[in-house]
Amino acid sequence: MTTIQTRERLSATFRFIALVIIVIVIFLPLVSMVVTSLKRMDELYRVPAHVLPDAAVWGNYGLAWTLVNFGKYLLNSIILTILYIVPAVMSSAFAGYAFSRFQVRESRAIFLVVLSTLMIPVMVTMMPLYMVLARAQFVNQRGLWFVWGLAGIPFIIFLFRQFFSTIPASFEESARMDGAGRFRVFFSIMFPLVQTGLIVASIFAFQWSWSEFLMPVLFLSDEKSSLAVKIVMGYADQKENVLYNIGMAGIVYYTAPLVIVYFALQKRFVAGLLAGGLKG
Amino acid sequence: MEGTRRIGASPLERHKRTSFYIFLAPWIIGFLLLEVVPIIWGFQISLTNRTSFPVAIKFVGLKNYLTLFQDSEVLGSYWVSFVYTILNTLIGVVTGFIFALLLDRELPGRGFFRTILYFPYMIPLVAVGWIFRIFLERDTGFLNILLVNLHIIPSGIPWMQNSPMGSILMLSFWQAGWSMIIFLGALSTVPRELYEVATIDGAGYGKRVRHIMLPLISPFIFFQFVMSFIYAMQAFIQPYILNPRPIRGNWVMLNPPPNETFFVMSRAYYIITGQHKFAYGLAMLWVLFAVVLVFTILFVKFGGFWVYTEADERK
Repeated sequence: MTTIQTRERLSATFRFIALVIIVIVIFLPLVSMVVTSLKRMDELYRVPAHVLPDAAVWGNYGLAWTLVNFGKYLLNSIILTILYIVPAVMSSAFAGYAFSRFQVRESRAIFLVVLSTLMIPVMVTMMPLYMVLARAQFVNQRGLWFVWGLAGIPFIIFLFRQFFSTIPASFEESARMDGAGRFRVFFSIMFPLVQTGLIVASIFAFQWSWSEFLMPVLFLSDEKSSLAVKIVMGYADQKENVLYNIGMAGIVYYTAPLVIVYFALQKRFVAGLLAGGLKG
Repeated sequence: MEGTRRIGASPLERHKRTSFYIFLAPWIIGFLLLEVVPIIWGFQISLTNRTSFPVAIKFVGLKNYLTLFQDSEVLGSYWVSFVYTILNTLIGVVTGFIFALLLDRELPGRGFFRTILYFPYMIPLVAVGWIFRIFLERDTGFLNILLVNLHIIPSGIPWMQNSPMGSILMLSFWQAGWSMIIFLGALSTVPRELYEVATIDGAGYGKRVRHIMLPLISPFIFFQFVMSFIYAMQAFIQPYILNPRPIRGNWVMLNPPPNETFFVMSRAYYIITGQHKFAYGLAMLWVLFAVVLVFTILFVKFGGFWVYTEADERK
């Protein structure tokens, strides 16, 4: 008995050490990002390389903000994200609810259609849309993000279907007896019960729209463009030399909202992912 | 409508169907407007000679598709995407599985490790590209500094120059958190008693993994192969940022990546926005769509043979 316990403890120690090493390796690129954002440009090319900057150049963070009018693009990104998240989460929740509660003969076939939309490469739909809309002079419309959201996220629809299926039917039946309509039943009874699903869906939708590059670059003018586009283009001086240090500071800003949301909600997010993925 | 009336005439069934379509309506609208209609448009355009100047457009039939199959650069892109997809899938799945194995059993700080290992997956690819461009730099990149100081390599390796593909594949390792989560979910479905019984019967760790764990979680592995295939075939932005060439400010998307990592989507983007060959680019995307579709169907139809299911057990 003791040998098994000893072995168990040894294995736990070994796994713990392995995980610590992995965490360090995973953090290295992020440390490199932060350190680079605090260096002077000439320090980046100095050989032999120094790990730490001579003196932290906090001014890079100021320049990252002013050099590209960061505030404007941040606002644009926020607008686009809200325009996308709300319909994406609602439409997916509705669809998941439909598939879990109102199974009719064709439900299964339609569900397969939902899943198969995963296989459509984004450009196969976005490029023709861009060509046709540009020709129709229908450009620079943020409303497109709303329609994009309506199309939902197949994985999230799947997730919501799982979550709704775990709720006993008796919950709604009593409400329906009292004469509550479809939407009353949905919003007052079902919706509050899938909070975890809402968190997972919102985080996914947030991450998607926040990192989406193709759509803003195709459909929006620079005036309405998003942070993702600015980040891809990078920061440069007047001679078009890329300013890596300020670029890294920009990326710290750009990723901060995602990082904050993730760490604030990580417990329920990961738990939700695990719970939803399981019953497939 | 005829059919539904004939079979599902009961009021309950009708109510159900109405509810079903009411709740599905937003998705149907989005699906039609953003998927079905553009796809049809795209196919139509791919059969013409359309460029960015919409003059003298005429129907050319399958000409674009035929040209495509003789264009060695385009074919090269399909090959490169295919190689990337295979390697990316293997790296992602194996790394995710190892992470999950390390985290599957009780361990101090388990929740913390899980959160951190998933974390890189949250960082947008557009940012990851730049982060790794600096991280992999020959003289000043942290990876080389670390490896040289640990005396693993004598002097800095120019990762991006040596292997543009390899440097992009490092992201697959870094972002294996998604795969890990799927595996953690999968492993928690394996009944603990099975391990205990096997241990008592004298099966070592390796045997337990191979004969109990892997068969039971094989549907999840299969699922990951399919998903990873679909996503990796669509890799697009990584080679534009993470490549060995010097980048000029604001020119990132205008310079084509090196051929070793010029993925299908990256090239289609370049052909359409850079060379203005709209129809040709769309034909290229349609072939990609067909490849993904056919491979996924083949996977699902014939790849399932090694997946363990309850049904097999009963036979």
